[in-house]
Amino acid sequence: MGRQRGLNRRHFALALPSALLTAGCAAPRQGTGRPGDPIVLTLLSHYSSGVLKKALQDPVDEWNATHDRVKVRTKAVEFTDLLTTFMVRQAAGQGADIIQPYCLWTGQLVRAGVLRPAPPEHTAEIRRGYSAAAVGAASVGGRVYGYPTETQTYALYYNARLLRAAGVPRPPRTWPELTEAAERTMRRDRYGNTLVQGFGLSSYDDSTTVGQTLALLNAAGGAFVSADGRSTAIDSPAGRAVFELEHRLVSTGASAPGVNVYQAFPAGQVAMVISAGWWTGSLKPLMGADYREVGVAPVPVPRAGDRPATLSTGFLLGVNAASRFPREAWEFLRWLNAERTGPKGVTRMSALQVSVGSLTGRADDMRALLGRGGDPNLRPFLDALAYAVPEPNMPGAQQAKTLLRTHIEALWTGQQSVAEALRGTRRQVDQEVSRLW
Amino acid sequence: MVNTLAPERAGHSASRARPPGPGPAARARRRQTVVAYLFLAPVLLFFAVFLALPLGFALLLSMSRWSGFDLGEIRPVGPANFTGLFARGSTFLAPVLTNTVLFALGTVVIALAGSVLVATCIDRLRFQGLWRTLYFLPMVTTVVAVGNVWKYMYEPGGLVNGVLNALGLGSVAFLQDPHTALPAVVVVQAWASAGSAILVLTAGLKSIPRSYYEAAELDGAGAVTVFRKITLPLLRPSLLFVCITQFLTGLQSFALITVMTKGGPGDATAVAALEMYRQAFSYGDWGTASAAAFVLFVVVLVITLVQLWVFRRSGEDA
Repeated sequence: MGRQRGLNRRHFALALPSALLTAGCAAPRQGTGRPGDPIVLTLLSHYSSGVLKKALQDPVDEWNATHDRVKVRTKAVEFTDLLTTFMVRQAAGQGADIIQPYCLWTGQLVRAGVLRPAPPEHTAEIRRGYSAAAVGAASVGGRVYGYPTETQTYALYYNARLLRAAGVPRPPRTWPELTEAAERTMRRDRYGNTLVQGFGLSSYDDSTTVGQTLALLNAAGGAFVSADGRSTAIDSPAGRAVFELEHRLVSTGASAPGVNVYQAFPAGQVAMVISAGWWTGSLKPLMGADYREVGVAPVPVPRAGDRPATLSTGFLLGVNAASRFPREAWEFLRWLNAERTGPKGVTRMSALQVSVGSLTGRADDMRALLGRGGDPNLRPFLDALAYAVPEPNMPGAQQAKTLLRTHIEALWTGQQSVAEALRGTRRQVDQEVSRLW
Repeated sequence: MVNTLAPERAGHSASRARPPGPGPAARARRRQTVVAYLFLAPVLLFFAVFLALPLGFALLLSMSRWSGFDLGEIRPVGPANFTGLFARGSTFLAPVLTNTVLFALGTVVIALAGSVLVATCIDRLRFQGLWRTLYFLPMVTTVVAVGNVWKYMYEPGGLVNGVLNALGLGSVAFLQDPHTALPAVVVVQAWASAGSAILVLTAGLKSIPRSYYEAAELDGAGAVTVFRKITLPLLRPSLLFVCITQFLTGLQSFALITVMTKGGPGDATAVAALEMYRQAFSYGDWGTASAAAFVLFVVVLVITLVQLWVFRRSGEDA
């Protein structure tokens, strides 16, 4: 009897893990892949909460309700955890079929073999339907890797009340006007505390440091990296002009990099700042009635008559190279990003992005959706789609951006001169970028 | 108990003809060994999974290039990651490693001096438990909360600058000025970690026999002499413990700096742990991150050994 019990225990001890293992292995996480069997695609994004989560879930629910065989399941993490989650899941063989990376990481993901190049028919659709900046942001080495989703361009936000009070009749169009307006609007108390910052240079985050600097650099006709992405191009007359402009603004006190512009601008403590289009959606509820004093103008250019240019950033939806169902994944992406629907004949992604106060790189969709009666402050961002320059996204782009930020901050705080900051950026970025190709 | 039984059984069986193969004593010993290893297995498994395996993997990565996505893509590069850290133009040695050591040193000096002072005061007060609890509170508060509160206090218009302004002094951009950013964060780290040091030192003070103080008082020794000649030498084991643990915490500090300065302005507060995190999780350069981790490990080891040596030597001198 005892022997019988012992055997049972031993059998049970062996059988339980085996059963669990078998069950785990046999569980059709994504479907079996046999013809006709159901397929479950996973989509990993940073649309993890609130309106963003719902905005994505609505079209996914629509797809699931209208497609019997291929279903889509969304997974989301905070943006700050997105790249790490891609890494961990990919290394563990659990990568999602469809991923939505920040375009800055595209080169890194391509180099690591995570993103699958878009098939020719999708590439043609993307090149045809999106602005050059959006296509550039979703491409590496001229090859398209996904559908551009959220596209952000940079423009000059200004507080009309502060400009009027300082006797500045209209937003600046050139750098000399910008400098003059910034110096006229700035105010400090007797202890040196900034009451009003003329032009909002802020070391708060990448967007307020690198984003602003690159927008000004593009406006001056310069570029951060060379066309092939293998070396930096910032140590140029345009780069020098931008660094000198920022250095002057900080040294005259017209800019106070220690101030968090995301708090100070809505509080009426910043006269002008360069930022991306998404901010309008945040400013409206934050400022309430005061938002009517907020205006948006194109990024000022060095001299009157210069061609306008600015920076664009964005996200893309691409297919994982490890996905077992790439054809189905691309078909879902085409349905979401390229198929036109509704009374306005726009894509589902365009409707999604506008519903959360953002833009896509499809200018025609944006015009149809924003139409008349929309927020006029979005118009300059939409116009900028035509001339914006995509943020560099070569392998090592994130590191290059961090290095540039370090040198910009060193310039702003007087640790480095203009020449030292340019030289240091060039040397370090060149070293890192060339190593990572 | 088990060991005392084993020889008896061995002696009993020795009178019989020994069958071929291992005897009962050997079998029993082997069984005991197996049982011992079975009991140890969970701990060994824990160490293997959470210590030996990651350590071996990190060592492998430190001599490889890996982007963090595909385990099949690990490519050996020899010592290139280590030489890269110290190559001309690399920021790892200066300012990153220099900042790390200065950060840890500053934290230890301020936290140790402050906690010795506070512990000595608490030792003479009533309601000692209450005071110890109060000083320990920052330890149970999350670093993110501590960092954000202090960040607001340091801001122009914040509490610290408000006090300076009230005294007629100009505002200081503590976290935005590269000269004050590191000391400003050091003060917060020292404040946040002083609680545990105070706890250890008050316990150390309690263990010093009162008779020594009474004898010193009879001999007419002053308070400073008593502190220098009796309290400090007898507090040495506690001081050593505090010193080593504070240094270890300081050298590995990451969260507070991330919350307060993100390594800026420029790279004025960039420290090794933050650099490792960036290299691995932001840049996808796990080889460099792992090499930096091993360099930091060597630095921590050397500093700890130096502290042990200094304290042991001062103990012998005393």
